[in-house]
Amino acid sequence: MNPDRKQPRNMLMTKRLNHYFGERQVLFNISLEIQEGTRHAIIGPNGAGKTTLFNTITGKYRPKNGSILFKGKDVTGFKPDKLVRMGLGRSFQINSTFAGLTTFQNLRMAVLARKNIRFNFFRNLDKMQPVTDETDTLLARIGLAAERNLPAGLLSYGKHRCLELSLAMATDPDLVMLDEPAAGMSRIETHQMVKLIRELTHNKTVLIIEHDMDVVFSLADRITVLHHGEILATGTPEEIKANQDVKDAYLGETKVGNAA
Amino acid sequence: MKNSFRKWLLWAAILAGLYTAPVLFGVFELNLLLGASIFALFSLSLNLLLSFTGLLSFGHAMFFASGAYGTALVLTRLDGCSLLSAIFVGAASAVLVALVLSPLLVRVGGHTFAMLTMAFSQIMYATVMKFSHLTGGNDGMSGFPIPPLVIPAVGLIDMSLERNFYYFSISILGLSAWVMWFFTRTPFGSIMVSIRDNPDRVTYLGFNVPLSKAIILGVSAGFAGVAGSVYALFQNMVSVDGVLGPLSSFTPLINCFIGGLGTFIGPVFGTGIGTILLELMSAHPEQAQLVFSLVLISVVLFLPGGAIMLYWKITSRWIVLRNKFQTAILKGNHES
Amino acid sequence: MDAIAVMLITQGIHGLAYGMLLFLVASGFTLIFGMMGILNIAHASFFMLAAYFAFQIMQWSGSFWLALLLAPIAIAGLGILMERLMLRQIRKFKLGKAVVLFELMLTVGIMVCIEEAVKNLWGTDPEIVNAPELLRGLVQFFGMTYPVYRIFIIGLSCSILLLLGLILFKTRLGNVVRAAVQDADMAGALGVNVPLVFTLVFGLGTWLAGIAGVAAAPMLTVFPGLANQMMLDSFIVVALGGFGSLFGAFVISMLLGELTAFGIQFFPGYSTIILFGFMALVLTIRPSGLFGEKE
Ligand SMILES: Nc1ncnc2c1ncn2[C@@H]1O[C@H](COP(=O)(O)OP(=O)(O)OP(=O)(O)O)[C@@H](O)[C@H]1O
Ligand SMILES: [Mg+2]
Repeated sequence: MNPDRKQPRNMLMTKRLNHYFGERQVLFNISLEIQEGTRHAIIGPNGAGKTTLFNTITGKYRPKNGSILFKGKDVTGFKPDKLVRMGLGRSFQINSTFAGLTTFQNLRMAVLARKNIRFNFFRNLDKMQPVTDETDTLLARIGLAAERNLPAGLLSYGKHRCLELSLAMATDPDLVMLDEPAAGMSRIETHQMVKLIRELTHNKTVLIIEHDMDVVFSLADRITVLHHGEILATGTPEEIKANQDVKDAYLGETKVGNAA
Repeated sequence: MKNSFRKWLLWAAILAGLYTAPVLFGVFELNLLLGASIFALFSLSLNLLLSFTGLLSFGHAMFFASGAYGTALVLTRLDGCSLLSAIFVGAASAVLVALVLSPLLVRVGGHTFAMLTMAFSQIMYATVMKFSHLTGGNDGMSGFPIPPLVIPAVGLIDMSLERNFYYFSISILGLSAWVMWFFTRTPFGSIMVSIRDNPDRVTYLGFNVPLSKAIILGVSAGFAGVAGSVYALFQNMVSVDGVLGPLSSFTPLINCFIGGLGTFIGPVFGTGIGTILLELMSAHPEQAQLVFSLVLISVVLFLPGGAIMLYWKITSRWIVLRNKFQTAILKGNHES
Repeated sequence: MDAIAVMLITQGIHGLAYGMLLFLVASGFTLIFGMMGILNIAHASFFMLAAYFAFQIMQWSGSFWLALLLAPIAIAGLGILMERLMLRQIRKFKLGKAVVLFELMLTVGIMVCIEEAVKNLWGTDPEIVNAPELLRGLVQFFGMTYPVYRIFIIGLSCSILLLLGLILFKTRLGNVVRAAVQDADMAGALGVNVPLVFTLVFGLGTWLAGIAGVAAAPMLTVFPGLANQMMLDSFIVVALGGFGSLFGAFVISMLLGELTAFGIQFFPGYSTIILFGFMALVLTIRPSGLFGEKE
């Protein structure tokens, strides 16, 4: 993509990130290192601060202190749109598509973003054939061609989730951040989703939040466990499986959660 | 094919109608038409914010007023200012006001945007009163010269002639409306609609939402300014209560709602209905506004698609429109 | 005592009386917004309408006290009708985010409608409402004279305030209302009949505006434009005090009342600009208001 891109060893690095909601601290000294080309999962019980971490990394929240390096550059305090233009893509835990627009129009926005068509005031978009063609190709690729003219808000949950994922991938990002892409899906849908993720994120760096352990262990090269806003452990899937702290904290918490 | 032929026929008929209007109608009807088209443009400019970006402005009159005062001032103070420059100055001052306020306005939406625009238009009202040596304060400005239109190779066209002024204004207004329509069809127009739908996602697609909003605000204000400027020329006077009074910002909003939200042409419909309604009520002017407000309330309560929805229903094209309407303003309630 | 001090104290009391009225209106406004997310543009119109109701009732019966009792109840009835029949109707259309636009426009329509109806029924000339015999004239204490009616307004508002405080903070109903203001969905999940609470709060809010309207009638001029100043002032109160914050509304109302009383002397002509400029800044920089507790 980017000819003058150096090959940074670290795609993303955070150094001692702290975040507060009012008085309440939800992230404690989060230091992460994501190597280029790896798939890194973040797991942790509900309320551990995973989504907050995503929001902080992508610039939606400004961390109280600590710094964020993206592709070797200090991006602390950058707004999300700037990070996205630098090569970051993100999907949300709760679908965040253009619910009132058709699937086609949703993906067309993605195509505009990718083609970097932003402040164009002089052409009729409907008559920009390359954009239309590319959008239709994309529609076919993610299997939503039949729903082309349906408002996104009326899509079935599974299909809506696919659309969400494709919007995250829209700008052809180098780092993809996915927030529970398979949440709320059936077994079969989850399986398809994992396949789609593999397909779309081929050769990319992925940071993924996921509750489904099967998904995590089948996708991730490395795993970080977050607990009460702190990193409990980071390691390969085998290391995490074997880690006693993780078992105690994570499984214990889950059981409490289930009982409630 | 047949459809597009019908469309061209319709446009041809409208143009022919507008062209022959001075012949068919008297001065009174002509002025009515002109007044309506000024307010139609004003409503359309508001609709860019309302229907296309989802921002409800309670102070759009300040841009209309900037246009009106800008034109009136330059014509009063500057001898030999040409007609087109006067309109340009009007539009430019509206854009300027919008750009100065935009750092604050683009940060907010919803109720806050409504209240903020209202606050700014109050400030503008007070400012106009404060600088009464320039603006004439309560009395307003009137009697400024209306320069002729200079067309190279044709010569001077006298604007004090009703008919000439009519043709000129209608052209300016029509052109502005077309430019705005085209604006909504451009790639930037689709960014605009997306911001209405989900600004967060637009940001995460890498678009700069505040900057985009500032541009939309500028464009919307600019055309409101054009409308205000033509209004000043048409009335040959500007008064603070005429352009910044309590209802000035609400009238175009009401037009948009009555005509139908979510479509481009709705506000034109709404303005037409409003004008006709006021005309029908002209024997009882004191009840006209009351009837108008009752119409607004009924539309909001019983016909959220507005008059244009009714029209489409009547012409049995309502299924098509329903899709359009849904696309335009229905946000699925899956979001919870 | 010297003349300046007398002037200051008289103005101060005048400001206090206006501030109290403002608070009565703004508290209903802010409660309704905090709970239902509805910015009721027509709220101050109910205030104005109450003043006319008071005028009419006094025409018929001659009793100010009867007006003070009945007019607010009638206003609250109208408010409840508006909530039940209109605002609720809008939520039936599945409009998603656009519902805010429609609600705002409905309240705009009602505002215009009330103003025009008043113009048609009573005309545009100011009407005079006399304070009852008991409250006319001046009282003297600490060697100064005060208009009795202003003192009465302050006393009345304080009692209403106390009553409101007792209801909100000491009764079960108050707990429920406060819970619903904080988080309507959560309250609903906990078994609160949220629609009923909405109606009650709407009724309460408009009732407060009604009291203020009747109380204001003998002090201010009763004319259709009465709503405008009150609407703008209560906007400022709610924006600065924080949406949904009663305490904030109280502090700002008092400040604004005094500012209106004194501001005219100190910076004539600029008070609107300064006030609305300040409001704009607070709205963008601290959207929760100066005293807002909510995020
Ligand atoms: N906007 C907010 N304001 C205040 N507190 C918040 C906000 N967002 C999240 N929190 C709190 O911060 C903590 C972390 O939330 P977060 O959403 O990051 O958890 P999570 O790990 O993503 O959980 P889940 O698995 O349920 O998605 C939670 O206790 C939550 O209540
Ligand atoms: Mg989460």
